[in-house]
Amino acid sequence: SWYPVPSTECVPKDAISKSGRGVLMWHSHIQYERVGADVTMKCGSMDWDAAVTWTANGTDIDDSRLNGSYLVLRNVDLMQSGQYSCYEGSSWHLKYQTYLRVGTPPKEPVLMCRSNNYPKGFYCSWHLPSPTYIPNSFNISVIHGTREMVCEKDIFPKNRCHIRYLQLFSTVKYKVTLTVTNALGKNSTTLTFDEFTIVKPDPPENVVAKPVPNNPRRLEVAWQNPSSWPDPESFPLKFFLRYRPLILDQWQHVELSDGTSHTITDAYAGKEYIIQVAAKDNDIGTWSDWSVAVHATPWMEEPKHLTTEAQVTETTSTSTSSFMPPPTTKICDKGAVVGSGAVAVCWTAGLVLAAYGVLFI
Amino acid sequence: MAAAETPSAALRRRDLCSRGIRLARKMRSDVADLLDAYVERQGLDASASVAALDGVPAAAAERWGEQTESQRLLDNLAAYRAFRALLTEMLEEQREQAAPADAALREALAAVLLQVSAFAYHLEELLRLESRGPPGEEGAGPPAGPRLGLFERKLRGLGVLRELAQWAVRSTRDLRQLAKPGPGGGGGGAAAPAGPAEGQ
Repeated sequence: SWYPVPSTECVPKDAISKSGRGVLMWHSHIQYERVGADVTMKCGSMDWDAAVTWTANGTDIDDSRLNGSYLVLRNVDLMQSGQYSCYEGSSWHLKYQTYLRVGTPPKEPVLMCRSNNYPKGFYCSWHLPSPTYIPNSFNISVIHGTREMVCEKDIFPKNRCHIRYLQLFSTVKYKVTLTVTNALGKNSTTLTFDEFTIVKPDPPENVVAKPVPNNPRRLEVAWQNPSSWPDPESFPLKFFLRYRPLILDQWQHVELSDGTSHTITDAYAGKEYIIQVAAKDNDIGTWSDWSVAVHATPWMEEPKHLTTEAQVTETTSTSTSSFMPPPTTKICDKGAVVGSGAVAVCWTAGLVLAAYGVLFI
Repeated sequence: MAAAETPSAALRRRDLCSRGIRLARKMRSDVADLLDAYVERQGLDASASVAALDGVPAAAAERWGEQTESQRLLDNLAAYRAFRALLTEMLEEQREQAAPADAALREALAAVLLQVSAFAYHLEELLRLESRGPPGEEGAGPPAGPRLGLFERKLRGLGVLRELAQWAVRSTRDLRQLAKPGPGGGGGGAAAPAGPAEGQ
């Protein structure tokens, strides 16, 4: 019967609440308490033995929660957040009001820094591993040697800021400290790193894969440098391509030191492929995440019309059996058989069936 | 600013830059291996901070993107000449210590010294192509300082190799800038566009 989501509504001075009780101006007093704490609220300047009534979000609180005129909340939980008001006995004058917010102090924040636009700069982003349920503020400091650098906060998302490189090729490490503070405590974390180690481009963009006409085992793949990489001519990227047919789990990999295209020449005919590309600066840093996957199937020859050939076979054969397969009928689909044994398997099956057919002539 | 290049000079420049980039990348890889071996053999902490060292050219550059071609070449040449002297000194110190277990370290150091010398020569060639010619070498070796204790020398060696590793990356970037055709690369003195933001 306690407290749903706290109201944040402000009421004008001297307004009358729905219950007919007087209200006290705008409530601006907020009280923060830890989950599990015992909370005692005094009814303003009222004596301990004064007759009072407490409400929580407009609902009367049972006298069993009172110690004299004090309200005692034991082992508070998140659901007990809300507006608490205390009224004098019979006059119903509002004597005290507070907004109780139950929460937790912050745990050690998770901080990450990365340069996806080298050599312009890098960004750091952070989050809390678990919510505190009360407002938090974050402060970040970036030190390079003896120099404190400015981290310009993004408007969105709020938990990120950017730093511009003032020097390149420095052996001096960067030290980034993030401190998170709320009404119940604070916590911090520090990252120390070299300029090169955090360089990680965004994935390549606009990956396109197309079949090659008249080539049943080829796929042409093309992509673009990530748009966030500011100067690919001076800071070229290398690429890693991976591909596999959908029916298999194992990837093939190709590393490409230049260019933004590649022709796969060993695709299985007729099989749909999934293809992805990753990027890395030629000299420093780590590989990007994989690009969005694209699908493509190598070019296939149009299947020949079976009815026409069956008719040709019937008019020329002396056999009374209709079992003998026409010479152009595919006994097995080569594309369904993986590996160099595909042709041998098809011919063997053909011979067996041909021999079986002879028995019935 | 140099006069417009002849086609053969442009070709020679691109060739020198390409080979220089390959040399710088190989050097960087070998210096990385040498650093690991050095840290291990000298009993150092790989993450130890080393303060700025006198006589060791720092690779760090402000406004790197705005440097002219000449400045890039001259800065690189000065650095590698200094490293040539510093590595020679380190090699002498290693030989004095003469611990048999360090023979592999000395060999690796000698190999890197050879690459540094080769790269310095490469840079001199590029400067000759600019009709500028390389400046004369100012001194025979690094400035003489107070004799350091053993630990200080080890730390200094760590600092030298770290800066050399950074220089190898920087040189790769510098040569790519030089190899770019058109204004700002390949025969002009104009500044390259890439680089960090201006003065903060």
